[in-house]
Amino acid sequence: MSAKANSNKRPFSRRKFLRRTAVVLGGSIVAGFLGCSPTRRYLAQTVESMDFPAVISSMKPDFWFQVLSDNSILFKSPKIEMGQNVITGLAMLAAEELEIPLERIKVEHASTSSGIIDSLGTGGSNSTLALYIPVREVAATMREMLKTAAADQWGVALSSVSAKDGVLSSGDKTMTYAEIAESTTEWKTPKTPKLKPSSAFKYVGKTVKRIDLQEKVMGTALYTIDHERNGLLHAITLECPYLNGKIKSIDTTEAAKMPDVVKVIQEDDLVAVVAINRYAAEMAVRKIKVEWDIPKAWQQKEIIELVTVGKGRRVNVQDKGSARSILSNSKAKVFEQAYRTPMAAHAQMETYGTLAHVENDEASIVIGTQAAGMVQGQLASALGIKKDKVDVQTPYLGGGFGRKMGRNNAAQAARISKNVGAPVKLIPTREQEFQNSVYRPNTHHVLKAVFDEQGELEAISHDQATPDMVMKDLGGNFALSMVGADWLSAGHGASILYPVKNRSTSIWNVEVPYPSGIWRSVGIFANTFAIESFVNELAHHTKQDPLEMRLKLLQGGDELNQRMTKVLETLKDKTDWGTKPKAGIGRSVAICNDRKTIAAAAIEVSIVDGAIKVLKVTEVIDCGIAINPGGIHQQVEGAIMMGISAALYEEITIADGKISASNYHEYPLATLNDVPEIQVTILENAPEPFGIGEPPLGPVAPAIAGALLDLTGKALRSLPFRLDEE
Amino acid sequence: MKIDFSINKKPVSVDVDPEMPLLWVVRDELQLKATKFGCGRAMCGACTLHVDGEVYRSCSLPVQYAAGKEVTTLEGLSTEAQIHPIQQAWIEEEVPQCGYCQPGFMMAAAKLIQEIPNPSDEDIKSNISNICRCGTHPRIIKAIKRAAAIQQASKI
Repeated sequence: MSAKANSNKRPFSRRKFLRRTAVVLGGSIVAGFLGCSPTRRYLAQTVESMDFPAVISSMKPDFWFQVLSDNSILFKSPKIEMGQNVITGLAMLAAEELEIPLERIKVEHASTSSGIIDSLGTGGSNSTLALYIPVREVAATMREMLKTAAADQWGVALSSVSAKDGVLSSGDKTMTYAEIAESTTEWKTPKTPKLKPSSAFKYVGKTVKRIDLQEKVMGTALYTIDHERNGLLHAITLECPYLNGKIKSIDTTEAAKMPDVVKVIQEDDLVAVVAINRYAAEMAVRKIKVEWDIPKAWQQKEIIELVTVGKGRRVNVQDKGSARSILSNSKAKVFEQAYRTPMAAHAQMETYGTLAHVENDEASIVIGTQAAGMVQGQLASALGIKKDKVDVQTPYLGGGFGRKMGRNNAAQAARISKNVGAPVKLIPTREQEFQNSVYRPNTHHVLKAVFDEQGELEAISHDQATPDMVMKDLGGNFALSMVGADWLSAGHGASILYPVKNRSTSIWNVEVPYPSGIWRSVGIFANTFAIESFVNELAHHTKQDPLEMRLKLLQGGDELNQRMTKVLETLKDKTDWGTKPKAGIGRSVAICNDRKTIAAAAIEVSIVDGAIKVLKVTEVIDCGIAINPGGIHQQVEGAIMMGISAALYEEITIADGKISASNYHEYPLATLNDVPEIQVTILENAPEPFGIGEPPLGPVAPAIAGALLDLTGKALRSLPFRLDEE
Repeated sequence: MKIDFSINKKPVSVDVDPEMPLLWVVRDELQLKATKFGCGRAMCGACTLHVDGEVYRSCSLPVQYAAGKEVTTLEGLSTEAQIHPIQQAWIEEEVPQCGYCQPGFMMAAAKLIQEIPNPSDEDIKSNISNICRCGTHPRIIKAIKRAAAIQQASKI
């Protein structure tokens, strides 16, 4: 469509989106100035329960959709595809209103100059919910624009024009979308049309194969590393393996003499070898002689001690009834346990690299990022140019899991490109990906509970000590100190959901010497592990069935609690819960709520040759409207495997100031050998489509812990599980 | 050094350091991008391809080893006339998520069903050690068994 369409009046309820956005961003700012704890708690509760809006810079349809000459429509997605299958769901929603078969919709990621990117990035399992209405509104507007153009061209009333399967018709006149797009120069933008009712959906609710399936199987899907430019050079940077280390002395003479090396760059903190091929760059960087200045050689024990409840700054995020005083004054026995989760790496298969070409103060960047808008801003300031001179193009991501929201090498790549005056590909080695990365922070949790004389749970409290995940990225140290602690991400899921009369939750913000960031399911991972393990222990101690005890706890609760109840009841049916597992098999359950998606898992384990073996995982998920049930199954299976991996194997440790793991042999992941029997059930007990990529990960680790407790009578309270834990 | 070999049934000649890993030759000299860089240490399997019908992790295989041999990458698995049973099964089971590790898995799996035409779960688990982070493992097992069935059916 022509660019002239842009000049028309603003057609969408854009103000509504901007207003919703302001609640989130403005909220943090307000909290910053007030800074007092009741305000923080109010905000924490508000943000925890709200729907995240998409922060989209334009709602003009021709930025989103383009009619191609073969009568297909190109959808420039504001959200990126990293495996979570978001583009298929969004295309399905668009197809509903575009009146074109789904097969005729092609999807590519919008680049910062070609279309609309979401400045909040892609994450938090929020994409589908955030765009559920906007993508359909824009698609419906596009359809009406095509219809209006046809009516004008034919000289007939708009009401007589219909659109079906990519063809417009009125009486005996017909024209394809491509034909009308080709012959129209002046576009009229209508008011936002009324959306189809969900009862009229053609695609939503039906399983559709992934849009990227064919290219990912045939090997034609392109990732950052697959992109080429004329005269492309390959670079490798020198990275310090020590936390916060700096160069003390360096000698690059030998590296510069290596074959096929174009240049060795030394520019402030940036040291890089540039060569005509990747192999030469890798060989040469190993020839650099360097001595590091290490401010402190951190050891694992110190990292664990730093992250301890009672240290750092406390923010109370939940305070119902008088849990703290009941727990400290109770004459009855107070159950108290502590849990720990370790640091973890994302270990996504594609290292987080960049192709950069900087020329005449303009930058063209290819980076498989979850946050193209953020990268654009970083580059503009690194290069001292305006943002609109930086084009960030995002190909498919070879896995994200939060890693590609964090620390990237785009500015390094751009500086190298500028220095050598050629396009440069800078793909980190796997060792750099492990050792110069951003990590899921280690956490510490203390839970306390007391039962009253009738055996009812009277009070419960949870204290979580955690480093920051996102606050520093959003607003620096100042923002973090003003909001107190990262209740948005690291503390996500810390509050007690069971409607116990007296419950209290606090988050203790602690500082660590390593970069900490989000990891699939953010705080849900650590908090669900701690809370649900504790609940399983309470059931064990009081000789109750862990699933029945939860059903009892949820009685009299709110709407969310009622949905949790339905999920657990379904789980009971699906697992034949009334029948005890065979001897040698332990079984338990766990549940979480991740921004209104409820996920519960029942897991059976055994011990085979001294090792923990997960035999069976039954997961029930209530995500509201299920757009693409097949895609949801895929995400739940993936989350189960990642949950097993995190529970049984994964741990990043620090020794002598270094991240110990340098490659996969030192950071084992779950493999084909770990595949259990998996059964997934989807419930749709809400009128909106909530997230699916992260929630099903939450219950996996605590359900395994509970099953081991059931099997052995011993509670394992830190990850990854070791049967010989003291 | 000039090295001649065949890639996906076409003869090629490259002039590179003989120690350069075959991965970079295939990707950057021959512009075949399906074979991926994952770990650089032959541990993850993203770079798996075939040399003279045997499975190799090309990030750790010097190109000189391929001299005079037949290299097959994912691009050469299917023919124009016939999709390979592994790729057909991968589509039918809808295996990939991010997709980055899948070419390596498919190359390892193609060899497996050639060696063991009717593999059990155990055969699959003990013979393929590639890594996937998205958790497509359950579908990989299903797809390999489906591919084996497709292969069997096509032979009858």
